[in-house]
Amino acid sequence: MTIFLARLLMTLASTCMGDDRRDWSLAMQAEYEVAAADGQALSFASGCLVAAWRELLASPQGRFTLTNYVAALGIMLPMAALQIGCAVFGLPYLYPGEHGLPGAMLVGGSHEALLRSIYLGAVPTLALIQLITGIGHVRLAWLLVERDWPGAIRWALWTLAGATALVIFMSVLFLDAQQALLQAAIVGLEVAAIAIGITRHAEIAAVRNPTG
Amino acid sequence: MRLVLAILAEQLGEWRHGYDLMKATGLLSGTLYPLLMRMTDNGLVEAEWREPAQQGRPPRHVYRLTAAGFALAIELTRESAPLSGKEMLA
Repeated sequence: MTIFLARLLMTLASTCMGDDRRDWSLAMQAEYEVAAADGQALSFASGCLVAAWRELLASPQGRFTLTNYVAALGIMLPMAALQIGCAVFGLPYLYPGEHGLPGAMLVGGSHEALLRSIYLGAVPTLALIQLITGIGHVRLAWLLVERDWPGAIRWALWTLAGATALVIFMSVLFLDAQQALLQAAIVGLEVAAIAIGITRHAEIAAVRNPTG
Repeated sequence: MRLVLAILAEQLGEWRHGYDLMKATGLLSGTLYPLLMRMTDNGLVEAEWREPAQQGRPPRHVYRLTAAGFALAIELTRESAPLSGKEMLA
C-alpha cells in the first residue's frame, strides 16, 4: 500500500513538473528507486511532489498551466454541470418561479395563454441547446487543459453561439432570459480569457525559445 | 543552499547522487531538488546522467560543483562563522 501510494505521488509529481523540467523529473524517478530500496519510498515521493509544486509555482509556464487547470476545474466544469443539469433535470433555481426551464415558459403574462402550446413545444429545443452548450463547456475545459488553442477558441465560439441562440429564442418567445443572458455573458468572458491565454502562451513560448 | 554548496565542496570534482546528497545534508527531497534545479540554472552545479551500477535500474543524475559554485562555496565559508541551521538553508 505504501509503495502504491508512493508511486502514485511520483506519477503526480512527474505530471506536475512540466516539459522544461522533464530531465529533473526523470532524475527524481531514478532516485526514487534507490530511496524505495532504502525504505524511504513514501517520504521521498512526498518530497518530490512538493518539489514539483514549488517548480509549478516558480515558473511562468507552471503558473500558466496551473491557471488553465483552475479555469477548467473551477469555472468551466461547474458551468458545464450547471448547464447540463439544467437541461436534463430542469434545475429550478436557474429559472423564475423555481420550476426549471418549463417554469420559465409559464411565468404569468398575458401572452401565456396564447402561446402556451408553442412554449411547451419549444421546451425540448431549448433544453437541447442548453445541453449542447453544457457539453461544449466540458469539451472546452478539456481543450484548455490540453492547451489546444485553435480547438479551444473554436469550441468557445460554438458554445457562445449556443448560449446566444438560447437568449435569442427565449427573448423571441417573451420568456425571462435573464439567467440565459448571464450564462452567455460568462461564455463571452471565457472567449476573451482564452484569447488572452493564447497571447500569454505565445509570450511564454517566445521567452523559452527566443530563436523561435 | 550553503549547506549543499558546503557538502559538494567537501569532495570537489566528485559526482554525487541526489539521494546521497539528501542523506549528507539531511534535507528532504522537496527541499533539495528545487535547490539543485536553481543552482544548476545559475551555473553553480552541473548535472550529468550516469549509467546505473545495477542492471535493470534507470540511469541516475549526478551532481558536482562548477568552478563558479566552488568559488561561491569558498567565499561563503570565509564570510561565515559557524552557521545556524536556518542560515544554512538560506
